[in-house]
Amino acid sequence: MHRKFPLGLLIFFGILGIISIFIPHPSWEAFDGMLRNKVMLIIGAFALILALGNLIRVHYLKIKRRAKHWPFSIVTLLSFFVTSIIGLFGDSGANTMDGSFRTIIGTFEFDIMTIYFKILVPLGATMFAMLAFYMASAAYRSFRAKSTLAALLLISAFIVMLGQIPVGAAISKHIPAISDIIMRIPNTASKRGIEIGVVLGMLATMLKIMTGIERSWMGGGE
Amino acid sequence: MNWERLLMLDRRVIFLIMALVIALPIIFPFGLPTQVTDRTQRLFDTIDATREDQAVLLSTDYTPQTEPELHPMYISILRHCFARNIKVLMVTLYIEAAGLMDVGLREVMDEFNARATTHEDSIIMGEDVVFLGWKPPPIIPILAMGQDIAGFYKQDFYNQETATMPVMQGIKNYRDISIVVAFSSGSSPLWFVQFAQTRFGVKVGAGVTAVSVADFYPYLESGQFSGLLGGMKGAAEYEELVEREVGVQGRRRATEGMSSQSAAHIAIMVFVIIGNIGYFATRRKR
Repeated sequence: MHRKFPLGLLIFFGILGIISIFIPHPSWEAFDGMLRNKVMLIIGAFALILALGNLIRVHYLKIKRRAKHWPFSIVTLLSFFVTSIIGLFGDSGANTMDGSFRTIIGTFEFDIMTIYFKILVPLGATMFAMLAFYMASAAYRSFRAKSTLAALLLISAFIVMLGQIPVGAAISKHIPAISDIIMRIPNTASKRGIEIGVVLGMLATMLKIMTGIERSWMGGGE
Repeated sequence: MNWERLLMLDRRVIFLIMALVIALPIIFPFGLPTQVTDRTQRLFDTIDATREDQAVLLSTDYTPQTEPELHPMYISILRHCFARNIKVLMVTLYIEAAGLMDVGLREVMDEFNARATTHEDSIIMGEDVVFLGWKPPPIIPILAMGQDIAGFYKQDFYNQETATMPVMQGIKNYRDISIVVAFSSGSSPLWFVQFAQTRFGVKVGAGVTAVSVADFYPYLESGQFSGLLGGMKGAAEYEELVEREVGVQGRRRATEGMSSQSAAHIAIMVFVIIGNIGYFATRRKR
């Protein structure tokens, strides 16, 4: 029962989702809308609770077992709890219209957007900004024209890189045009092949799940 | 020349060179003309053709990491819409983007309101624009907006009731949207193609990072995207169009950043060339 019931639910709702596209009747569309806008939101809320519970459990166990990089788990949990408490007790911004979300607990007053703008935004920007340095270092050490194909890749990369900056057009008006041709023709052709392959793989996996051949999603190691 | 030593160059030297190459053009920019590509022009034209009874839906789905590339696109399109009196509806599928959207919207509203002389010239929240906020998970809002936008987003980001807002009058679902423009550091433009365009027939445009633009070309070529802005250059092109075609002046962040990006691209190419010369010189020796 504990295996057949979830599988039955999956098949039922899976088929509902597919046939909804082929039944353009208003009453069916209303039913489909209710499933999408209400039922899926409730399921999404439960999934969020499960995800948060899992986050706490995983990091708690890492700290308890002193696993590799466990101090980072303390930072994760601390950040999670501090942000959650401030957010949960915070003003929803109603009637202020100034974009602030204040938390007032007794004499304590804090705007959660301070965490966003003073911590999250600079940390995110720093992480991404560092990529330029690593890319430059990696390009210097690893990007070698060791074969004809590698040389072709290198030339294409140079043209596309020049096409992405105004300097390319300043050197020659043909560079952005050639860059565009590379992106529109060989790039599109290869991407299409990959995308079609991925979608066919997804369809095959979906059919395997819906027919009960693939059951690993239910857990239990089968 | 000792190529082997050069190839073993301390990476801190490379980091220092990159820091200078990126920072100096920010302080001393070298202005180069921006050429507008066809994919940017197509997006501009589609937005420009929005009828009076329609709105543009902006889905801002980027994190602070990609702000320098995507935020200027969002600002430019807001300027374009406000200058043409096009109604703007805004959502975000990523919670991390909500704060950036709010700040960007206020910045552009302040720009316009500082110049406004009448009520009609002013940009007013709820009358000309509404920020509908964030609702998870991402696919649900995309599908729900095909039925009833105000029914799904009952309150906006600032907890104001949406159904009674002037901006929402006559705007029910995707049928009243001229184009959805998704700014994304991930896959949200594709979700709009899969779930909003395929099912409800709405036009979709995209603003994506330079590193991911190659992934979106098949959708541009097939006509599923009505325009595509790629990276900081795409944003600079849109800034150019908004200033040239619409006559809106304002800070052009992407254009400012192009000097730095140009220098960084050239520096990386020079590194690759030196690395390859060194590789072939040392290989011959071996």
